[in-house]
Amino acid sequence: MLNSALVNSWTISLVAYLVVGVLVSQPHGSLADRCMAVIGWPVELAQKMAGDAPLPYLFLIPNMLIFGMFTFAPLFINLGFSFTEGASINFDQRPYAGGDNWARLLSDTQIDTGGENREDDKFYRSVMDTAVFVVFQVPIMVFFALVTALVLNRNIIGRGFWRSVYFYPVMLSPVVVGFLWTLILKRHGVMSLTLMDWGWIDAPIQWLVDPSWTMFWSIFVYTWAHLGFYMLILLAGLQSIPADLYEAAEMDGTSDWRKLTRITLPLLMPTLLVVIVLSLIKAFQAFEELYAMQVRWVSVVNYIFETSGLRGTPTAHGLGIAATAALIIAVLLGILSMLQFHLTRGK
Amino acid sequence: MKTIWNISAALTVFLPAFASAADIEFLCYNNGNECEVIAELAERFTAESGHVVNTNVVAYTVIRDQLLNQLQTGDAAPDVARVTDLGGMAQFFLDLSPYVDVSFFETEFGTMLPWMRPEGDTKGIYGLPGSTVTGPFVNVTMFEDAGVEIPGAGATWDEWVTALTAVKETLGLDAAFALDRTGHRFGGPAFSYGARFFDDAGEPILVDDGFRTFAETFVDWHKSGFMPESGWPAGSSTQYRNAAPLFMNEEVAMHFAGSWMIKNYDSNISNFEWKAVPVPCGEGGCGAMVGGAAITGFKSTKHPEAVAAFIDFLARPEIAREYYAKSLNIPAHATIQKEGVEYVGASARVAEALNVFGDNALKAATTTPQAFVFQGYPKNFVIFGAIPEYMTKAITGEMTLDEALSAMDADIAAKIAD
Repeated sequence: MLNSALVNSWTISLVAYLVVGVLVSQPHGSLADRCMAVIGWPVELAQKMAGDAPLPYLFLIPNMLIFGMFTFAPLFINLGFSFTEGASINFDQRPYAGGDNWARLLSDTQIDTGGENREDDKFYRSVMDTAVFVVFQVPIMVFFALVTALVLNRNIIGRGFWRSVYFYPVMLSPVVVGFLWTLILKRHGVMSLTLMDWGWIDAPIQWLVDPSWTMFWSIFVYTWAHLGFYMLILLAGLQSIPADLYEAAEMDGTSDWRKLTRITLPLLMPTLLVVIVLSLIKAFQAFEELYAMQVRWVSVVNYIFETSGLRGTPTAHGLGIAATAALIIAVLLGILSMLQFHLTRGK
Repeated sequence: MKTIWNISAALTVFLPAFASAADIEFLCYNNGNECEVIAELAERFTAESGHVVNTNVVAYTVIRDQLLNQLQTGDAAPDVARVTDLGGMAQFFLDLSPYVDVSFFETEFGTMLPWMRPEGDTKGIYGLPGSTVTGPFVNVTMFEDAGVEIPGAGATWDEWVTALTAVKETLGLDAAFALDRTGHRFGGPAFSYGARFFDDAGEPILVDDGFRTFAETFVDWHKSGFMPESGWPAGSSTQYRNAAPLFMNEEVAMHFAGSWMIKNYDSNISNFEWKAVPVPCGEGGCGAMVGGAAITGFKSTKHPEAVAAFIDFLARPEIAREYYAKSLNIPAHATIQKEGVEYVGASARVAEALNVFGDNALKAATTTPQAFVFQGYPKNFVIFGAIPEYMTKAITGEMTLDEALSAMDADIAAKIAD
């Protein structure tokens, strides 16, 4: 009963829409033109009333609605959490806190107890550990992505196969990546057992949690998992370099090194900049693989995730503190993004 | 005419019973087969009352990570659920006292009812508590192979450390003893060493002499290799790490876990003999942490009477006895605890383990009552997380023990501050 009423109302609405369309657009020309005019009468009408200028914005509306819902709304909700306090996720149960969450996150003294504050230490530590990760991971990954792209851009045997091999990890879920490498790097994993068989180590090592190795393997696995994506971008950049430049260089007897430094790298620079900035932002947001591998250090995103209390039971002000930390990181990433726009502008 | 009369008579008899029949949503997670057993019992409840119980079995993480948010937003919250975060969710629990026999609940679950009460409430009945208790499992085969006698009931932690170290050294193990990485498991041994955790007013005091003594011992256990590197030191922050794989892989001779592991070990360990042993004792008593998942209704339900009737049905001694027997849980009912349960189809090893854990619960009630205060403290999860976070720093040398204990106190104080 309800369904048929619904169908009827939709049918009536559709007929009314088309009748209004016929009256407003007064269609002429071919059948296809007439149909388009009847269906698209609101756009025609808007164009007639306001001219062509606002039309692009009309087409942007659907995208902006989706973008707003999934990007701006969480941003504003996060902003709201950072200036309110309490364990609830409902704003009507979260009193305004002013800058209290900022003090709870960054101050030496805990404002609620008057005692020592631990959050600032944890936050700074996670930021510093993440910075170390970024400083090593990004150059290493960009270097290897470039080398791989250069090699795979040449006419080597099985080029398609090798490209697939390097791109394959990108298609894996981060959790699968984490699980796979945990099997290899855990205390009695493949790595320890193999090295013990070879007599290289005497006792098994927990590669993912040993303080001397945890960062190395975090960088290694993260690079392994993401290298293919950046390699592909660089490969596209390499293939856009005109071949006649290389032919001319060869005719002049230019060495391979000189071709690389004088043709390839300068012309690849815009793509390389995009890769550097994208990988920089991505490295700052590193979380899934590291979380799945249970590495010893706490990344800044992991800190936010744990502090928020959205996994498990929320603490008194954890959500506000986490939102404040997220805001700081968002500003930092915003600066990096602007840097990207600035560096790639006009190139 | 006669037919109409008959139909009218039948409706008069049956309609009152089913007129207010309700569909209630029950969100359940399994430790073993609890949800299946409850679903089976729920069918009987339906036949008796007319109310239909839709049992949705979900992963524990759904209960832990999503249910509270559902309750806060009122979005698709179930009518009834099997939950563990009693303190955190207490404000959303439905008070069953208008619908059930309060004196029965008080008699059977008196020590556990406060765990589910919201702050300030001393009388409400907010659900049907379950019962779990922490305690150790030992690898009997290892003890036999090493020629070491398993310490008996009442043995102290020192005696256990001596025996386990002998097993470790004889068999060349990397470590002897593993404890799940959470303050919840840390609690029992700490109680044995005299840690009180709470003052007389029920406020957390955490680091007292007993706690400090056990913390020092705990760090030493790691330094000496008595406890494994892949246990507590391998975790970061408040992360929980289950030590069961270490026990199942025969890397340690003892695992301090809890009664919920019995079914898992019974199903999955076939390459060695194991058994549950009485909880080790110390100056502070024979410490074990009590707890358990409770079946609770929520205020947001549209069918409070049906919810209360369902929980009341599950609390009936004959129904509860069947539930404990089929799901291999230790009883929460005081009467059934005393009478004992005949575990249906359970092996002698499982039945013995369940009885050992039952005794552990009784010992905890008499020798370390702070376990009940700890379990009932609404913000106990903060302490459960802070203990591994800072004890790990002391074990790895990132902080001295004094610094770690001081930081632990400060962090807990901040996280429980209103």
